[in-house]
Amino acid sequence: MVRRVLSLTAGRVSAAILLAIALLAVLGPLLAPLDPLAVSDDTLAGISGSHWLGTDYLGRDVFSRLLDGSRASVVGALEVTLMALVVGAIPGILSVYLGRVFEWVTLRVADTLIALPFLLFAVAITALLGNGITQAMLVTGVLVSPLFFRVSRAATLAVARSQYVEAALISGASLPWIIRRHVWAKVLPPIAVALAQTLGVGFIIVSSLSFLGIGVQPPEPTWGGLLASDLGYLDYRPWAPFAPALLIMATVWASNLLADAIRDVSGEAGRALLNSRKVRANQAAAAGGTA
Amino acid sequence: MSVRTTARRLRGAVIGIAVVATLASTVSACGNGGASAAAGGPSTLKWASSYFPTHWDPVVSGSGAQFRLLSLVHASLTRTDESGKAVPDLAKDWEYNTAGDQVTFHLRPGLKFTDGEPVDGAAIKFAIERAKTQKNSALFGDLTSIKEVTASGLDVVVKLTQVDHQIPQLLGQRVLQVSSPKAAQDPAKLDQNPVGAGPFVVTQLVPGTKAVLKKNPDYWDAANIHIDNVELTSAPDASTVVSGLQTGVYNFADLTPSQADAAKKAGLDVFVQPGFNASNISINVNKAPFDNPKVVDAVRHAINRKEFVDKLTFGLGEPTDQPFPEGYIAYDPESKNRWPYDPAKSKALLAEAGFQPGDIKLDLVIPDAQPASEIVQSQLAAVGITLTIKVDKNWSKPFFAKELALSIYGTTGRDSAVQTLTAHFGPNGPLNPSTPYEPAGFEAAVAKVRQTPLDSPDYPTALRAATKAGLDSKALVFTYSAPNLFVKNKSVSNLPKNPAHIDWTGVKISGR
Repeated sequence: MVRRVLSLTAGRVSAAILLAIALLAVLGPLLAPLDPLAVSDDTLAGISGSHWLGTDYLGRDVFSRLLDGSRASVVGALEVTLMALVVGAIPGILSVYLGRVFEWVTLRVADTLIALPFLLFAVAITALLGNGITQAMLVTGVLVSPLFFRVSRAATLAVARSQYVEAALISGASLPWIIRRHVWAKVLPPIAVALAQTLGVGFIIVSSLSFLGIGVQPPEPTWGGLLASDLGYLDYRPWAPFAPALLIMATVWASNLLADAIRDVSGEAGRALLNSRKVRANQAAAAGGTA
Repeated sequence: MSVRTTARRLRGAVIGIAVVATLASTVSACGNGGASAAAGGPSTLKWASSYFPTHWDPVVSGSGAQFRLLSLVHASLTRTDESGKAVPDLAKDWEYNTAGDQVTFHLRPGLKFTDGEPVDGAAIKFAIERAKTQKNSALFGDLTSIKEVTASGLDVVVKLTQVDHQIPQLLGQRVLQVSSPKAAQDPAKLDQNPVGAGPFVVTQLVPGTKAVLKKNPDYWDAANIHIDNVELTSAPDASTVVSGLQTGVYNFADLTPSQADAAKKAGLDVFVQPGFNASNISINVNKAPFDNPKVVDAVRHAINRKEFVDKLTFGLGEPTDQPFPEGYIAYDPESKNRWPYDPAKSKALLAEAGFQPGDIKLDLVIPDAQPASEIVQSQLAAVGITLTIKVDKNWSKPFFAKELALSIYGTTGRDSAVQTLTAHFGPNGPLNPSTPYEPAGFEAAVAKVRQTPLDSPDYPTALRAATKAGLDSKALVFTYSAPNLFVKNKSVSNLPKNPAHIDWTGVKISGR
């Protein structure tokens, strides 16, 4: 699937952006030219050779803080995504096979989680468990998990009613074998699409929460936190919010683009073929022939 | 020129004048905030406040900055004038007995609360006793000098546990805003349906968001209240306050120092109201490593107060090492700069105490992300003390239970200097993070102030001596005084310079 995704322009662009963001997360703190926590008397300074994105209200180098904050932002988004995947996808698949009671309970839990406003819930949980990014993101992951639950359950239901699965059941195949051999392969593409989408949602969530000061302990920088602090000093540095906002937007856009690309290469309609030069040429030829 | 041409030109001129007049009035309305009414109509104060009260019952709300908003609804026994001295409010005058352990307040006649209940001695007695005994009272600690209250008609006799000449100063807007005793029978309801005898009456209240008030014609000083309506709104994000004033959504607002320049550029009136704001580093000397006095001294010398002023107040605040502003009667000039910024000395003190750089690792627990905490962290890091900032949404519980080793706090002060001193340095003071610790000699010094009438020539000396004794406390390191910064539309006239208060007496709002 990876090769097919990368065969699309959208797939290549999104992968390139996300790879760059991943590298920022890994290497950002090492690449930071200055100590991102070091305060100085040079507060709210403009762009200069020594401070590529100026300094903040305590005289800290904003470029260094942006690089250093990449890790917390990316890790937070990944935590949300992975938590949602684990908590949502597995019960979603199993709800088809483990009987009515399990199905009823998981459906009601999913309905309940959808009804909870994640922002308020995250605030409440951090008030209860302490203001840490991990607990905030894990809780948010649980609240986002119904997306995976529904996607995986719908895909599994479609597969479970197929003749080859029924044949496998009649021939005595075990449930784990059927899931591993037949169901997983069919469920994986829609889950991959949901995963990429949730990654984007995760970035928005982690940025929103850190914008509100939830999940991150000062002076640790995050993209959302930088955006929030910049807004308080617009009169001095009106351009300042652009850098963190652009990073957030680019990451979310790339995640959504990747989700589109995965959907295109995995969809039944074979939308990936639309990007194939050969098919486009055939379509053009056909269109010319009928004109 | 033909008649037809002339008529056409005249018609064009009339239309042109009408268009220009319409545009001019529209632009003018926008430029002035498009606010309420034409000249001569009702005047409306549109106040965006960052201190929108959670509790409207003054007993629950306490002495913090919200008292300014609650005083729209409630009158108090006394109030303070521009010199900070107690002057009559509901009480027209008062007198002490010879011993100084009993004060009798005489109330103004004919006053009533907005629910029709009379403002009499019984109402004041009920208010004091409720503040002393109500389970969720935030004021009972301020009233320990009061032993008993008796009422007779319009007289209230307050009997004291000790000689205390601070009582009129104490029973002002911060400690004794008076609610209707009838409404206060249900404190939970009162908390969101305030009933007082103040300048305004609440007509609509959306908890935490907005309150609409109208002038109370029965207020004792209604003749000097020139505002007809008040729309009080919980302030939005600080960065939007200036545009809110420009567009007329508000005509008065609290302002953060970072927005002061933008407000001035927008042609708005930016002003600093005098006050008693003082921020501090709260240290628990009952917990290691602060049980070692040298470590406390090291912290004292590690603090560069100017950095707080420059970075947090944009130069509008003041560095302070006392809970009073310089020039105030309780300010002790002899204690000024007693612990100067000297990081080298700080490091030496830590070494003397047996700590190498990095040995001391502590949590700095705060209620929300505050830049001041990051400055404290960096300044202490510079002398080798490592702080981890921890934001705890339940901070108030461990803070006021005196469980934290290190925190930061900011007070807006009190009208009674003695109340300020005992709150910070008294053994059970709410702002003393090291209860029951009390600096040596403080109790005696405070007792002497209480025994000294406020008009005595000895009063300033006694008060400063008490301040000096309090500042021996190792539990508090004062850092800076944030400005009481406000912004208003030019249509709102200047406010009285009443320290720490927002007094609407005599304030006018022009037609727009």
